[in-house]
Amino acid sequence: MSTGSVEVIYRGIYQKTLAKNICRGVVFAARKEGKIGIAFGRYSDSPERNGIPAKQFAVVADEQEELEEYLSRYEPDNNDVTIACDDTLCKGVESWAWYGLQPINKLLGENGTLLVTSTQSPNKLINFIHRKASPYDLALVRSEASFSGLWVYKDDHTDVRLLGALAKVAPHMFSIDSMLAAIKEQFKDDLKVTSAKKSYDDTEAQPVSTEQGNEEVPYSFELPGWKEMEEGIVIRGMDMSKGGTGKDGSYVPVRNEVFKKFSTRTMRPVINFETCTKCTLCWLNCPDTCFDVTADGLYDANMEACCGCGVCEAVCPVKECVTMVNEEAFDDNDSQWAMWTKDKDGYGKWLAEKIANQPARSHGFHHIGQYEEDIANDSA
Amino acid sequence: MTPPKAATAETLDGGAPVGGTEELISGSEAVAHAVRLADVDVLTAYPIRPYDTVMQYVSKLIADGEFDCEFIVAESEHSQFEIVKHASTVGARVFVGSSGVGWLYAFEALAVTAGLRVPMVAMVGNRALDDPGAFGVEHNDALAVRDLGWMLCWVATAQEALDTALIAYRVAEDPRVSLPCALSCDGAFLTHSQSIVNVPDQATVDSFLPPYDRKEKLLHPDNPITIAPQANEDWVMEIRKQSDAGMRRARDVITEAYDDFGAKFGREDEPFIERYMMEDAEIALVGMGTLAMPVKVAVRKMREQGQKVGFVRVRWFRPFPVEELQDALGGVAAVGVIDRDYGLGSAFYGGVLAGDLRTALYPLEDRPKVVSFIAGLGGREINTDNVITIAGMVSDAAEGGTTDDQDTYWIGVRE
Amino acid sequence: MSETTVEGFGEFVETQVLDAWKGPKKVPHEEFFTSGHRTCQGCESAQLMKLMAKAAGPRTIILGATGCMYVANTTYYSTPWAVPWMHTQLGSAGSAATGTAAGLKALMRKGKMKDEPINVISFCGDGGGADMGLSAISAALQHTEYNHLILMYDNESYANTDIQVSGSSPYGAHTTFSAPGKVQRIMNRRWKKNTAAMLAAGHPDCKYVATVCTSNPVDAMNHVRKALSIGGPTFIHSLDPCPKGWDYDPRYSHELGELAIETGIWPLYEVVEGELKMHGKSRRILRGQLKRKPVEEYLMRQGRFAHFVQEDIDYFQGKIDQMWEEWLIPGVIPFSAGEES
Repeated sequence: MSTGSVEVIYRGIYQKTLAKNICRGVVFAARKEGKIGIAFGRYSDSPERNGIPAKQFAVVADEQEELEEYLSRYEPDNNDVTIACDDTLCKGVESWAWYGLQPINKLLGENGTLLVTSTQSPNKLINFIHRKASPYDLALVRSEASFSGLWVYKDDHTDVRLLGALAKVAPHMFSIDSMLAAIKEQFKDDLKVTSAKKSYDDTEAQPVSTEQGNEEVPYSFELPGWKEMEEGIVIRGMDMSKGGTGKDGSYVPVRNEVFKKFSTRTMRPVINFETCTKCTLCWLNCPDTCFDVTADGLYDANMEACCGCGVCEAVCPVKECVTMVNEEAFDDNDSQWAMWTKDKDGYGKWLAEKIANQPARSHGFHHIGQYEEDIANDSA
Repeated sequence: MTPPKAATAETLDGGAPVGGTEELISGSEAVAHAVRLADVDVLTAYPIRPYDTVMQYVSKLIADGEFDCEFIVAESEHSQFEIVKHASTVGARVFVGSSGVGWLYAFEALAVTAGLRVPMVAMVGNRALDDPGAFGVEHNDALAVRDLGWMLCWVATAQEALDTALIAYRVAEDPRVSLPCALSCDGAFLTHSQSIVNVPDQATVDSFLPPYDRKEKLLHPDNPITIAPQANEDWVMEIRKQSDAGMRRARDVITEAYDDFGAKFGREDEPFIERYMMEDAEIALVGMGTLAMPVKVAVRKMREQGQKVGFVRVRWFRPFPVEELQDALGGVAAVGVIDRDYGLGSAFYGGVLAGDLRTALYPLEDRPKVVSFIAGLGGREINTDNVITIAGMVSDAAEGGTTDDQDTYWIGVRE
Repeated sequence: MSETTVEGFGEFVETQVLDAWKGPKKVPHEEFFTSGHRTCQGCESAQLMKLMAKAAGPRTIILGATGCMYVANTTYYSTPWAVPWMHTQLGSAGSAATGTAAGLKALMRKGKMKDEPINVISFCGDGGGADMGLSAISAALQHTEYNHLILMYDNESYANTDIQVSGSSPYGAHTTFSAPGKVQRIMNRRWKKNTAAMLAAGHPDCKYVATVCTSNPVDAMNHVRKALSIGGPTFIHSLDPCPKGWDYDPRYSHELGELAIETGIWPLYEVVEGELKMHGKSRRILRGQLKRKPVEEYLMRQGRFAHFVQEDIDYFQGKIDQMWEEWLIPGVIPFSAGEES
C-alpha cells in the first residue's frame, strides 16, 4: 500500500491542538521517508464547539498523483487508522454539522486499527463500540484523555505517545525511526522522543471480529430532496405539543429528534434525589434545557440531551447532590429518576458506587499554572 | 393557483383605459402612485439621487392622508433593505428602492432577500456607480444582482413604470415565484421628466392584484417556523435549486400577469420585450430603458431612407427572454446591442446585455451577427445620430464589412 | 396594557404586560428555546437564549443576527426554537427589530392581521451589536413608535468565526487576531466599548436600557420582561462568559459571570425613562457595602489572559478603579466634570 490515511476524532476545542500535532506528525514522519502528505481538518466541524466531536485527517503517499486520487473525495474513508483521542467517543460521534450518530469505526478500513487513549479494559470499550461489518484491530494508549483549552496547550506528551503507537500499528506508513526523527525535529525535546518510543514499545493491538461490539443501530436520517424541502429556507419550529405538562404535573420540554448532543458528553451528572431541596437551580441554569421536571418536583437530567457541561453541579447548593461522573461508567441513557422511584435503596447503592469510582476528568483550563501542576502530579 | 379571469365587457370600452385619472407626472411619481394603489404596508427610504424622488412623493401622500403605511427613514441603504425584508416575512407588502452605490451599499441585503425568496419590489433609479460620483444613468447598479435571484425589468415611460410596478407585485408575490423584483427606471430621463399618465382607480387595481399572503412561510406566533437556519453543503444546492425553479416558473406567471393586465386595464403590452418595426427588419438594434425613444426616432428616419431597421427593447432582463429574442431576432442578418452599461474584461469587452443576447442566439442555426456597443454612460445623451452610426456599423457587419462582431464599440466617447 | 392604542402612523401601540417573577420557584416550566442547538458545553449565551425566550413567552417573534447563536443554534433541518425565529444579517439586529415590529404594526392597524401585542426580540453578539450593527441599533432606538427589544449577548469576541477580537473584547485578551507573540505581548490595546451606556446616553427617548448577566437567571429574565412591557425600542446588554473563547472549564460559567460583577468589570444597571439605577452586587459596590474583588482573581481564571504579567494586571486594575472612582457616574458614564462646569 503506497497511500496511507489516518482519521483523528477528538473533542472540539479541547483537543484541537492535540489533533493538529498528530496529523502534522504523520506528514513529517512520512516526509522523512521521501513521501508527501497533507493534514487537514474536516471543514464542516469548523467552528468547533467545546466538547462536540470533530475530525482531522492526515494522508500520505509516494506520489502526488496517488495523493490526489485519495483526496478527490470529500472525507477520506477506508482509513488505515482511526484515532479516538478520548475513549468516550467510542459510544458514537454526533458532529455538529451532520445528522445522526456515526460509529467511531465507521470510516475505518477493513483490518485497519482503531487507536484509543483509554484507561479502560479493551473489552469494556468494545462493548461501547458499534459492530462493524469487517474485522479491525483495537489498540490502546494507556492514558486519560488530554484536554486543554483554546489558548493554553497542556503538553503532557499525549500527542507523541499517539504518534509512537501509530508507527507500531501502521508500519507501512512510516517506521518508528522516521517518526522519532520527525518528533525530535518538530519539538526539539528528547523527553518527547522517549515518550513516543516507550509508547511504540508498549502498544499492542487485538483483533475485533464482526461479532463483537454494540449491536444497536445508531440513529441516522435521510436527507430530503429539493422538491420535498419547504421553500424560502423555512423549517418547522419545535412542536410544543410534543412536550409539555403532564396530568401529574410533570414537565418534559419538547426535545430535538435530529440533533441530540449526548455524544459531546464526557461526564454526566448523577443526582441524589434524597438530598435535593428542589431549589430549581440545576434546571434553571442548564443551557441545554436537559432537565425534566418530575411529578414530585424533582429534576431529572435527560441523558439524550445532556452534554455534560457540569454547570448543574457548580450551581447546586447541596453537597454531592449533583455529581459529575466519568461517562465511561455508564452504558445507557436511562432516566435516573425512574430508577430511583422504582428502587430507592438500589439507586442509593448505585449512586454511591458511581460517585466513588469517578476517575478525575478535566474540561480544560482552571487557573494559570494548573497544567504544570497536573503534569507534575501525573509523573509523581 | 388558477389564471385570473379576463375582464368583463363592463369594465372595458373598446380597449380604452378604464377608470382612473389623467396626471402629468414623472416616472418616480408614477411609481409612488403604484405603491399607493398596491396598498403597501411598510416602506423604507434613504436619500440618494435619482430614485429618492419616489420617496419624496410617497412621504407627501402619507402626510396628506392619501396613503396609509409605515414610512421609515433608515440610517443607511443596508438597513433600508433589511427593514423591509423583515417586514415582508411577517406578511407586510413592502416597497423600497435605491440608486447607484446606494444599491450596492445594500448588496448584502439584496443577496439575502433573493436567497430568502422575499417578494420585495424595489425601484432602481439607475445611476452610475462611484467613482467618479455622477448622477446620470448607467445600468451597472441593477445589473450587479443579475445572477442572485432578483427579477429585473426596465421600463421606458412613466406609464410603463406604474403598470409594471403593479405587475411586479403580482409576479413577485405569486407563490410559484416568490422572488424579489427590481424595477429599473433610468435616472433623470424617467425619474425626473413628467409625462401624461393614466393613474388607474383602486377597484381595478384590487381586481388585478390579490393581497399578499405568505401562507405557510408567515413568521407569526401562530406559525412557529424557523427561517434561514445556517446550512452546510448538505443543503445549499437544494436551496439554490428551489430558487432556480422559482425563476423558471416566473416566465409563465409574468405572461399571465400581462394578459390579465391588458384585459383589466386596456393597455396591452407584449411581456418581456417590445418589438418596433421588426416585421421585415434586416438588421435590428437592441437595448433597455429610455434609450428606446431616440432609437425609435432614428429607426423611423432610417426607414424613410429605405433601410429596413427594427428595434427590440428588452423589458425583462431576468428571467432573460430567450424564446422571445430568438423569435424576434432569428431572422435578421445582424444585431447591434446598445448597452448603457459596461462589462470590463468580459467576452469581447462587451456590454452585459450583449453577452446574454449572444448566449441566447447561439443555439440558432442561422444566427445573426451580434455587435456590442457601449453608449450613454453616466447619463450622456444617446442621440439619433449615434443610433444611425450604430445602425450603419451593424449593416456593415451584416454585409461582411470591417465592423467586427468580436469587438465592442464605444459610441459618443471623445478620443 | 401599558399604552393606549392610537390609530395611525407614528403612534404607539400596546405591549404585553409581563410582571417580574419573584424568585426562581415562580418561574414557569415552559421552554421556548429547547434542545437541538450545537453550542459549546456550558454556553452562557445559549443559557441567555433560553431565559430570554422563557421570559418573553409564546406570543413572541425572535430575530437573530449572524453569530454563535445563529450558526450553533440552528443548522438547517434542526432548530431549538419553539417560537418563530428568523436569521438576520450580522449588522441588522436593529433593522430586523424595526422591520418586524413595523410590519406587525402596519398589518394590525390596517386590519390585515389580528390585533394583539406580539413581542419582538432581536439579538446580536458583540460583533453584530457593538461593532457592525451599531448604526442600525442606534436608528432602531430612535423609532419610538415600534415596540421591541434588542438584546446583545456579549461574549467579548467574534466567537463564531474562531474567536477574533471585537470592539467589546477586553484589553489584552488572547484572540486569533490578537495572539501574544515573541515581541508583542499585548496585541489588543483597545479598552472595551461602553455599549449600553453609550446607547442610553445617546437615545434619550429610548425608555429602557439595561445590563445583565445570566449568573443571576431570574434577574436577567425580569429585565427582559420589563424591556418588553415598557413600550418602544429597548436595549439589553448581557455579559456572557464563553468557555471556548475565554478558555475555562465550562462548569465555571456562572462563577466567571459573578466574578465579572464582583470585580467591578461588569456593572449591572438599568436606565428607565432617563433614570439610572444600579442593581444587585453592583449597587452594593456603589454604596460601599461590598468591596470590589481584585481583578486578578477574574483574569487568572481564564486562558485568554494567561500571557499577562503583573504590569498588565496592574493596568487592568487601574482602569477599573478609574471607572468606579473617577467617572461622572461610576461604572456608567466616563466623563469627569470639567473646571467650567
